[in-house]
Amino acid sequence: MTLQLTFPTLHSQNLTLRGPQAADFEPLCAFLLDHERAGGFGAEDDRPQAWRWFALNIGHWALHGYGYFTIVDRATNQPCGLTGVWNPEGWPEPELGWGIWDAAHEGKGYAEEAAMAARAYAYGTLGWTTAVSYIDAENAPSIALAKRLGCALDPEASLPELPDWEGTLVYRHPAPEAL
Amino acid sequence: MPMQNIPIIETRRLVLRAPETEDYPDFKATFSSYRSRFMGGPLNKYEAWMLYAAEIGHWSIRGYGMWMIHDRETDRTLGMAGGWSPAGWPEREIAWIIWPGEAGKGYALEATHAARLHLYEQMGWDGAVSYIDPKNLNSIRLAERLGAVKDHAAQTIDGNDAVYRHPAPDRLRSGQLSDGIELEIAHYSDPALRPKGMPVD
Repeated sequence: MTLQLTFPTLHSQNLTLRGPQAADFEPLCAFLLDHERAGGFGAEDDRPQAWRWFALNIGHWALHGYGYFTIVDRATNQPCGLTGVWNPEGWPEPELGWGIWDAAHEGKGYAEEAAMAARAYAYGTLGWTTAVSYIDAENAPSIALAKRLGCALDPEASLPELPDWEGTLVYRHPAPEAL
Repeated sequence: MPMQNIPIIETRRLVLRAPETEDYPDFKATFSSYRSRFMGGPLNKYEAWMLYAAEIGHWSIRGYGMWMIHDRETDRTLGMAGGWSPAGWPEREIAWIIWPGEAGKGYALEATHAARLHLYEQMGWDGAVSYIDPKNLNSIRLAERLGAVKDHAAQTIDGNDAVYRHPAPDRLRSGQLSDGIELEIAHYSDPALRPKGMPVD
């Protein structure tokens, strides 16, 4: 078995979703170090930790064949966020996640547009039959987005067994046939 | 960001290849164990998987990284060795780890010597250091057997590590040092000459 690293490219109305590139690191790092903005996604404490995340996302793609896409705003060609599917060891089931990197790209519906494209990819190309999103109970914007995506709270679903995850909510996405 | 074409290095007893999906359980076993205490472990399974993914991503970002060491005959994994330089590292590092059940056979010496030669001669490195916990006596001995010398002036990662500086490529090329390392590896490979006493990696 050889290590493969291929990234699909997805297009939605305003956005391109592509694999991580070297130039993504600086804006990604700024996002991950901003505990207010990235708290729900998973903030990092310093630049080496942010680099570690950048590297392990690429490794996630190599090990699983999927991971976090970089969201590119096609109007400006600027990378502006992340969305994708996440399934490290210890995750009870694959997760759909998202994060917009800066205020300039907020309020445009980009997270919703990108997450829908990533979900369609997971259901279509990857053949998933379900997906969850793990959301902090205090992360009102992400909860609102999950609801716009048709998700419903799943109190039966398991959480990753990690410290400080108590209080995390599991939102289950509509099944492929419901979309 | 394409995957670097990760070269294969063959030595007398070993094959060094890209870390692959099916090698992960062996990596996890070591990084979940006390053996990994000088490399940031022991890790839980989530942390171990994330580190393994980061090792692979490192290859893609830097163009070099840690090879998985295999036994040439059985193909089983024995550990990892190679180049390591995540963000925050003052200089490029040569690093190694051997699974606890495989220690004492000179595998780390053989693999790291070959990986260092590849980094120097094929990848253009002009030198390297190893950051070693001062309590990790086996790794300090290995660094010294590889010709590395403690560099008191070099910047450490976080003050808790000692810096061992590897000989420069031209010194390795000149013969005597490499000949000594290769003689020691040859002794490990030959049952009649295998070193007695306390096992070292």
